[in-house]
Amino acid sequence: MGFFDKLTGWLGLKKKEVHLLCLGLDNSGKTTIINKLKPSNAQAQDIVPTIGFSVEKFKTSSLLFTVFDMSGQGRYRNLWEHYYKEGQAIIFVTDSSDKLRMIVAKEELETLLNHPDIKHRRIPILFFANKMDLRDALSSVKVSQLLSLENIKDKPWHICASNGLTGDGLQEGVDWLQDQIQVMKT
Amino acid sequence: MTSSHGAGRGAQQRGDEREPVSVERSNEANSKWLDAHYDPVANLYTFSSCTALVDLHRDGEVKLVVGDLGTGLYNMKLKVYKGTSLMTENALLDLPTGVVTFLMDQNEPRTPAVAVASGPYIYVYKNLRPYFKFTLPALDVNLLEQDVWNQARQDMIDPMTLKEMLEGIRDKADIPLSVRSLRFLMLEQEEMESFVNLHKHHPIKRQTVITCMGTLKKNMADEDAVSCLVIGTENAEVLIIDPEAFTILSKMSLPSVPAFLDVIGQYDVEFRITLACRNGSLYVLRRDSKRPKYCIELSSQPVGLVRVQKNIVVGCSEETLHAYTQKGKKLWTVYLPASITTMSLLDQKSRGFQAVMVGLANLEVHLYRDKNLLNIIRTPDVVTSVCFGRYGREDNTLIMTTKGGGLIIKILKRTAVFEEKDTSPGPPLAQGVKLSVPKKTKLYVDQTLRERENAVAMHRIFQADLYRLRLMASRAYVKALEGSVAPVSSVQQEPLQMNAVVQGIGPKFKLTLNIQNTSVNRPSIHLLISFLYDEHLYSMKNSFFKVPLLVPGLNYPIETFVDCLSDKGISDLIKVFVLREGKSAPLLTAHINMPVSEGLAAA
Repeated sequence: MGFFDKLTGWLGLKKKEVHLLCLGLDNSGKTTIINKLKPSNAQAQDIVPTIGFSVEKFKTSSLLFTVFDMSGQGRYRNLWEHYYKEGQAIIFVTDSSDKLRMIVAKEELETLLNHPDIKHRRIPILFFANKMDLRDALSSVKVSQLLSLENIKDKPWHICASNGLTGDGLQEGVDWLQDQIQVMKT
Repeated sequence: MTSSHGAGRGAQQRGDEREPVSVERSNEANSKWLDAHYDPVANLYTFSSCTALVDLHRDGEVKLVVGDLGTGLYNMKLKVYKGTSLMTENALLDLPTGVVTFLMDQNEPRTPAVAVASGPYIYVYKNLRPYFKFTLPALDVNLLEQDVWNQARQDMIDPMTLKEMLEGIRDKADIPLSVRSLRFLMLEQEEMESFVNLHKHHPIKRQTVITCMGTLKKNMADEDAVSCLVIGTENAEVLIIDPEAFTILSKMSLPSVPAFLDVIGQYDVEFRITLACRNGSLYVLRRDSKRPKYCIELSSQPVGLVRVQKNIVVGCSEETLHAYTQKGKKLWTVYLPASITTMSLLDQKSRGFQAVMVGLANLEVHLYRDKNLLNIIRTPDVVTSVCFGRYGREDNTLIMTTKGGGLIIKILKRTAVFEEKDTSPGPPLAQGVKLSVPKKTKLYVDQTLRERENAVAMHRIFQADLYRLRLMASRAYVKALEGSVAPVSSVQQEPLQMNAVVQGIGPKFKLTLNIQNTSVNRPSIHLLISFLYDEHLYSMKNSFFKVPLLVPGLNYPIETFVDCLSDKGISDLIKVFVLREGKSAPLLTAHINMPVSEGLAAA
């Protein structure tokens, strides 16, 4: 990194770019969450099921995130692993009201954590227990129990309850992610 | 329906000594199924024919519709499950014998209707609200019976005479008695009077009941096309009912009462209805035929019927599974370890994979593709209904209910593939495959002949050369040891090890010699280092110096500088000798290949 880059970095003019993977089952709210994180004038009104994946960008106070918003549909889930290599952080979204498929989310998470491109890297994983507004939603503690998150020992992780529609809980998660990435970089 | 019920109850205590060995069990860690949900007390008593998976509200979330038999007398209900929880329930008046979902019209929104067959009625629900009740047409009443009851109404005969006359009719007449008369004949003498007084004012009716139900696409094969209802009745008839007007489109009669049915095709084009009947036969009905086209006689009572593509798989009460083509040709038979409780089709649409799931009384569900057993799922209780398909938002979900009223939901892993393994005994399939061996070339034949003729000579020449090679190698080794030209000293008193590193791009190089005393506790003293090099090419400040005392085990880096004098891009070897004071033979020698000087020669 050149001197000028460092200087602008200190002055906060140029932000560091971070590649982020957004994963989770279909209908868990990945696109809705990413949409909510974008500046309000760039937000889309209608969210439709993602086909394949889409690339989005959003900024926080010190970082510029490039998000690979992957489709969660069963037939597209085999695309995820092709993006593991370039991902520097992972957002894993679960639908807290879908008790039936929590086991499927757990299975996909295990596959993700055991993938050679992820297994030996200490990358932060942020979990969103989404759809907290629904009546039969599980608490974030219960979700972390069902996904057996306590077994993740070699990676920093954090779970927050969120509501992708109103944006509740999203900022808390992104702040944590930003801290983790800055700790890793220094 | 009844025969399946009977098999489920009857075959509990069979042993499982005939279990196949080499098939993956579901309780293993590498199972193909994820255990999504198990509720042992869901209070759900049903059969495969009374379960259906359907997207009731067109919201992409598929629900489970179950006709619950309750205790068999009370608590019959139509239940709808969403995810792991019960969403709604509607009370049913009588035992359900079949539940199907179908689209009844082209109107938007295209929400599917649920049809529940129960007694002589079909209750149709739309948006889970009662929408229509279809009643089977009444049958002809025996005129003699009607006459007798008319007399009873006018009090011309007493109950005892009525009973005698009805018994006479029952034994002789072609048309059987009505339910009311049969019930009357069962009564004790003291109950007769009140029964006659209660019922004599109503005209007698004779009605049949529905035994099984299915759907048949009307004129299009699409997934969301309008379907007709197909019902089998207790008086051995098959009716096809129009979904909009609820009129009987077609009526066909059978030699026996159907227990299970399967439908393929479209009503307006061509269709086949396969029926498993209580007389132990399968019948195939086709469009425009009032009588069955084909008949397959089974060796025992059918307890389940599944169609896989165009073949019919039927489970029998003698613990066997048979497969037939549409025209009645027998394909195979599989002997099962226990009696069948239920059967269903596993259709994995994403892979185009179809197989038959068979629930057994020994707490297992077997998966068969053709005659091969692919997978075994162990269940905590005897399974009475099996249903596979899209549920919630997950495509490959297996829903089972148990005899004790439990609900089991399993999800097929995304990565799971059922391997086609032939588990039947006999030689493996690979044995029958012919290998394609290429033709022998002329060169190959000549070479083989030459080798065969001169085998002894060839072997001797090879051996002689091998000995010569070994001799040369050992001579060279001895020579190296004697001249101490190896970088490791083998002399007992001075075990030393050395390696050299050259750094720099020239013309000035830095030479680092790492010397290590490898003895256990003897320090080395009085050692000297000398360099030998071409003086036209290289110059060295001092090419001869003393080595300090070497403590055992430590690594001593000794640095010196070499100048390259040539600018012609040539390089040479520098030899390093480690010597002992007063001896001319070196202890060890290292050859350093100098790199080409890339910088300009020193001015």
